Parts: sequence; C-alpha cells; structure tokens
Amino acid sequence: MPDIEAIKSEAKRLLQEGVVEVVVAFKPGDTPLHPQPAFFTSVDEVDNLVYNGLCQNNLATFLTRIPKDKKVGMLVRGCENRSVNALIVEKQKSRDDLFLVGIPCEGIIDWRKIVERVGEAVLAVSENDYEVIIETRDGQYSFYKNELFHESCLRCSHRNPISADVIIGEPVPETNQDLANTVVERFDSQAIEERYASFQKEAERCIRCYACREACPMCYCTECFVDHIEPRWTESGATPAGMQGWHIVRAFHQTGRCTDCGACERACPMDIKMTYLTEKLNYDMRKKYNFETGLDIETQPPFATVTLDDKNRFTV
Amino acid sequence: MRKETIMNLILEKQALPALFQSWREHYDVYLPQKMERFSHFMPLSDESVLVTDEPHNTRIPPKALFLPMTEALVEFTRFGSYEDAKQTIQPRIVFAIRPCDAQAVQLLDTSFIQEGYVDPFWVEKRAKTITIGLGCHEPCQTGFCTTVGYGPFNKSDLDVLLTDLGDLYLVETISEAGEKCFQGFPTASDEIYEQALMVQHDTHDQMPVAFETENLKEKLEQNFNSDYWEEISQSCLGCGVCTFLCPTCFCFDIVDEAQRKERVRNWDTCMFRTYSLEASGHNPRPSRVERTRQRLSHKYVYWLDQINQIGCTGCGRCVRYCPVGLDIRAMLRQAQTLPFEVSHAG
Repeated sequence: MPDIEAIKSEAKRLLQEGVVEVVVAFKPGDTPLHPQPAFFTSVDEVDNLVYNGLCQNNLATFLTRIPKDKKVGMLVRGCENRSVNALIVEKQKSRDDLFLVGIPCEGIIDWRKIVERVGEAVLAVSENDYEVIIETRDGQYSFYKNELFHESCLRCSHRNPISADVIIGEPVPETNQDLANTVVERFDSQAIEERYASFQKEAERCIRCYACREACPMCYCTECFVDHIEPRWTESGATPAGMQGWHIVRAFHQTGRCTDCGACERACPMDIKMTYLTEKLNYDMRKKYNFETGLDIETQPPFATVTLDDKNRFTV
Repeated sequence: MRKETIMNLILEKQALPALFQSWREHYDVYLPQKMERFSHFMPLSDESVLVTDEPHNTRIPPKALFLPMTEALVEFTRFGSYEDAKQTIQPRIVFAIRPCDAQAVQLLDTSFIQEGYVDPFWVEKRAKTITIGLGCHEPCQTGFCTTVGYGPFNKSDLDVLLTDLGDLYLVETISEAGEKCFQGFPTASDEIYEQALMVQHDTHDQMPVAFETENLKEKLEQNFNSDYWEEISQSCLGCGVCTFLCPTCFCFDIVDEAQRKERVRNWDTCMFRTYSLEASGHNPRPSRVERTRQRLSHKYVYWLDQINQIGCTGCGRCVRYCPVGLDIRAMLRQAQTLPFEVSHAG
C-alpha cells in the first residue's frame, strides 16, 4: 500500500505551489465501505484525503465534468491513467493542464464481497500486504485480498500507472494478459444460444438507471443515444428489447476506448455483469489491431481512424 | 403511527410452506426470493425459497409491484384510435414486506389517489393487494426509519405485522383482509405477546438518531441558494440509483412506443438531465447541483408542504447503493449546520 502521508504531502505541494487548482482524490465516506470521490482545492482540506482498496470509482470520469481550462491534479491507478490518456486522445483535456499522481494498484476491493461474508455492521477495514482485515460488531475477520478483489482487477495487466508525473509507492508486479484472454475465450467457446441466454439473464435485470454510463470516464456525451427523441435508437422502457439495446450499444460505443477498469460493474445497483462484453471488444482490438486503450496520448483507437489506404470502404 | 390490532396469533415457521400453498389457491403470492446476489419480490412457485435473513431490505423496493418500471397505459388499435391498456391483476398477497416499504406505498397513495385525479392502474393494484409485513428485529445499518418518524415495526398500511421470535412469528392482524389470511391459527399467549413487544421496543430503541429533523425543512428552504448544494453534489455521478431504488420516488415519463403500439410510463428521475429539459432546449435544473437540491427538497420540504409528512421512510437503499458513497444522512446532518431564521409567519 502506498504511504497515505506521501500522497497527502504531494497533493498539498501541488495546491500550494499552484501547479493545479484542484486535486481529485478520495475522502472518507460515512461508512468505511464507501470512500467518496473528493475535490480538494485548498491545502487544509487535504488532511481529509484517503486512499485504500475500497476506493472503487474511476476518477477519470470526473475529468470531463471539470471546466476544460482548469489545471487538475488527479490520483491515478493503472486503469485511471489509461482512461485519462484515452480522454486526451479524444481531445477532452490537454495533458499540459494535468498533473497525474500515480499509485501502483494491487486491485480494488469489491465492498459487496465483504458484505456477503461478514454482513453490514462493518466498523473498520484495514489492509496489509496480503490481507484485508475487517472489524465488525461481532468480531474481526480477515480475507486474502484476491478473494475480495473485483473481477476486472484480477485480470488486470496494467496495475502500474504508465504516464504519471510522479509515482507514489513501489511498483507492483504486472501480470500478462493470459487471464483476460481466457475469460473471453471461455465465453467465445460457448454455443451461441448459451451466450445469448447469459447476455439476456444479465441485461434484463437492468433498471436503466445508467449508473454504468455515469461511472464510465468514456461516457461523456452531452446527449446519450438512449436519450435521443428523434431518431429513437432503442425502446425507452424496461423491456427486453430496451434493456438489451442499451447494453449492447453501450458496449459497442466503447470499442477501443475501454480500459476494463470495471467501474461500470461496480456502480451497477443490480450486480449486472457487463465487462465481459467490453472485454471481448478489447480482446478483438488486441488481436486484430494490436491496440490497447490509453497506452499513449496520440494513438487514435482503430475505429476512430480513417486512412486513404484502408482496405475496406467506410460504411455504417 | 400505532394502529390497534384485531388479533394476536402464532405462526410456526415450519407451517409456512403449507400456508403459502393454501394462499396460492386464491391469490398470487409474492415473496422476497434470491435473485443473483440479492433478494427480490417474485411470485411464489414450486421452487420458491423465502429469503428474510439478509441484513437489509430487497434491492428493488416493492413499490415496483404497484408502479412497475414500465407499464402500458394505452394501446393503439389502429390509426387514430386507442383504448385503455388492460390490467390483469389477480388478488395478491405480498409476504414479508418491510414496514419502511409499506409505509412508502401509503405515502405514494397521496400522490396517485387525489381528489380530481385517481390513477386507475395504481388503485386496482392497491385494492387487490394484501400486505403482510415483517418487522425488522435486526435493523439494517443504513436504515434510519426511526429518525424520520417511522419505525422497524411500524404498522402503517399493513394488513398484518409479523414479529420474528425464532421458531415462530407473532402475527398481529390489523385489517379484516389480513385476519382472513390467518384463520384458524392459535391465539398468542400473553407471554408471547409481551416477548414480541419487548423485541419491538428494544429494536426501536437501539436505532441511532441519524440526524435531527427539527427545523430541517426551514433550513433547506432558507438556504436554497447556499453553496451547501454544490458541496454535497460535487461527487454525484447523476445516475438514477438513489431514486430508482427509493421506495417513495414515483416520477415517471410517458412515452409512445409506436412499434409496440403502446403508450407506456417508465420510471424517471429528477437526477437525469433530460428530466427537466424543456423542448426549447432550456433546462431549469441545468446541473447536478440543482438536481440534488430537488431530490432532497422533495423529500424533506415539499412532501411536508403537501401532506405534512417526510417523504422518506429511512429504508437506507440510497445510502447502500450509491456508487460514489453519497449518504443522505450525512447530507442532512450537514444541512443542520446551515444558518436559518425562525419564521413567525402564520
């Protein structure tokens, strides 16, 4: 775990020296399970900054909500760093107006897995190198971190920030992409009926609250396709066609833009699995185009580029 | 909010399956059952397993049984003509509804059943539903029903209230319809009844005060233009989790689904940009600041103006499932620190 005091002192320095106007990080929530995204604008406020495995949001989602000309400091893990890069590629922010404080990330703890195991009366949560220690009203529990990490984190191959301005903490070992590939290949190996059945089972639990959209850094359209009146792209209601339409098109809009941070799944109030869809698109991007999202701040995603020597004509 | 009970009976837990089967002959029976990693009110089937041991409420509030996420209002028959959508609601029993959720349905009545406007879809479902409540002897961590004037064994709008006493329930029948569901069950001894009352009182007393409600309405009203709203909405994502999972949120949007030949109403939420977006392009609630203010003010100011009751039953879902950990209890505690002047008007 990175030293929280080192993060704080860096955040303070950035504000004090006027490097940035706001530092986007986390603060304690009302319960230990839910730290909140926070926006620090003065040195005094920074004492309230926290960072731990339960910080479940992708902070890059706030980048497009802050005025474009503001100088922003942001705590970034591997996935957040890549999301920020992808946003820079899409001209949503200038790299010059950003200061990225990198945190090597071991993984994000899924609070639901804690509640499933120990109930809700959680008084405190702490972490050491291997374990998460949870104090509840009934006693103390400890679990191996791997048991509580979110699925996206278990298959993550970019835990270390790749282009941060400063890194706080020791780098963590990276894993290769085999695991992510295996997840996709396992899904692909199912019969088409099976695949459709599991897609239906997940998508049709949807209540169309769009928490997945709002939690995603890459969903920054002023008007989402589901909100269009003319033309209408999907059924509006909680009907099979409407819910499937939302999930499939949401995923497709992420092609070459998704970092598999898993923020969509963690935000979902209905525990809908959806990263398997975007992970499949990421897989295709890797295999077919040798492309991964957000590895630099110049390369356009394959589906956003047009060149004169394209083999196929551009069609919609 | 205490109501007199008609009878106090005993229901052995092991008698539940047989009881459910006997109800099934005359009613559609809805029980909280396991759905993925949470519980959800679903119709009783042969495979049904009742889930009441979660440390909290069902994920989707049972308001959905009365105001479905999507509901057809009108069916278009041919070009230019239409008829009211047909509802086919059988008489039904909702078993193990929690008091906060039943209370919420009662609050919603004041919106759907008003002088001059009675919603036929709502009314029919309400009239055909018997609600059997299960009190919360282990209140959830995020709930705050006692703070907003209700309680874990609140009887409002229930036909029956059950109190869990280990191997059995104390059954307090509140309405005649409720009593009919438990015909022939043995009367509870004074000892059992006293034991249940003790559980009810103890649980009620254990629940902490989440925030003070005194003068809260005035503070929120008088600080309409305060920076407070910006502070509390800064990290809000603008999704619909808090409102869709709220048992008292009832806003809907009416849409013509031409391909389905239906006019439907869908759940809608004041937290969405499109909710208040006008045809001209103007949006009177242009950012999450105004939308957050609307959500809190509706529950803690406008409901009070309209029916003199807080429009929140303290179920705690918005706290539990907010993707950024926003907590209405903390927001309202902070609101209590805002300046205000005692109003002498009226």
